Amino acid sequence: MRDYWLSKLFFDLQSTPALGVEYRADRSKVLDRYPLKPEVRAAVEKDDVAYLAARVNPYLLRFYFVVCGMPEGEFLSKVRNAGADAAARSSHG
Amino acid sequence: MAELAGVFASSHAPLVIRGWKDISAPNQQSLKHAYDELGRRMKAARPDVIVEISPDHWVNFFINNLPAICVGVGEEHEGPGEPWMKACPYKTIAGHPKLATHIAQLAFEHDFEPAVSHHLILDHGFAIPLWKGGFDTLPPIVPIIFNDLEPPLPTVRRCLAWGSMLAEAIRTYPENIRVAILATGGLSHSIGEPTMGEIDEDFDRECLRHFEAADERRLVDFLNERLPTIGNGAAEVRNWVAAHGAAGKRGFELIDYCNVPEVYVGCGFASWNLGARP
Repeated sequence: MRDYWLSKLFFDLQSTPALGVEYRADRSKVLDRYPLKPEVRAAVEKDDVAYLAARVNPYLLRFYFVVCGMPEGEFLSKVRNAGADAAARSSHG
Repeated sequence: MAELAGVFASSHAPLVIRGWKDISAPNQQSLKHAYDELGRRMKAARPDVIVEISPDHWVNFFINNLPAICVGVGEEHEGPGEPWMKACPYKTIAGHPKLATHIAQLAFEHDFEPAVSHHLILDHGFAIPLWKGGFDTLPPIVPIIFNDLEPPLPTVRRCLAWGSMLAEAIRTYPENIRVAILATGGLSHSIGEPTMGEIDEDFDRECLRHFEAADERRLVDFLNERLPTIGNGAAEVRNWVAAHGAAGKRGFELIDYCNVPEVYVGCGFASWNLGARP
């Protein structure tokens, strides 16, 4: 499943460096321009990698957290845990 | 008539550029040797034009409009815009509209319906193999983008058929020029997935053996079975499959394979011996 506006946010951020600068300075101001569902926006604000991973192309997920400045080790840890979380949810029906 | 002067394939791991200093000295040496040899063979082919097949890493296309295949038919394209590719010398890249249009036209006649673009941004996938291969200046490029990133993806069998069509398009192009094909991407890697950073060397080695064995059915069956089970980046092997089709489905020669954990990618480099064509 793809969340269109979440995908659009990530796409715009990785393709427009100036927007990335603005986003790092004031995330809310940029997020206000995208009609994100409240639960999606909350996941963005919390850097909830597992939640976001289920809704965007993995490359866009990767690029987004590079733009955000998340350290590589932290992203790798979170994206790997996202897989473990998804497997656990799946095994619990 | 134009001549198919060479067919090549190469990985294009971004961390080869973005994280070069973090790669161990032996792995740097392996990668440098592989890219040098790729570049040497490509230059020896003396191409007047390079037809390059690569994915689009969310630079030109988005999920509101996502072609399976796009042929760049413009006079000029933009070089890579990724901030970490700033040092790349390719700011603008000449296209070859006449050959590109001929390829697109023949594609339609062969029941493919590619998109066309008169102006593309050619990202790191296009630039890294040529840059690292030592092309300080480029001949005109005909870029062909395969959607290797966002399902549904072109089937392996259609990629093989696209390659055969591409070779025919070059053979029938009515101008006395030498044309090389370069396919970029793969081999195994995983981007933005829980398996990110894992290289499946067993898959890579088996994949390379299938290209060498030149058994079309087994190659297609192997990729159909295995590609959905490993990291998303391996989908780019489709581009190698198109190159294989263009080379007549035989003559594969491995230049090198480098399992480089620091770049997250099983890096493959190859050329095809066109003398082996039927």
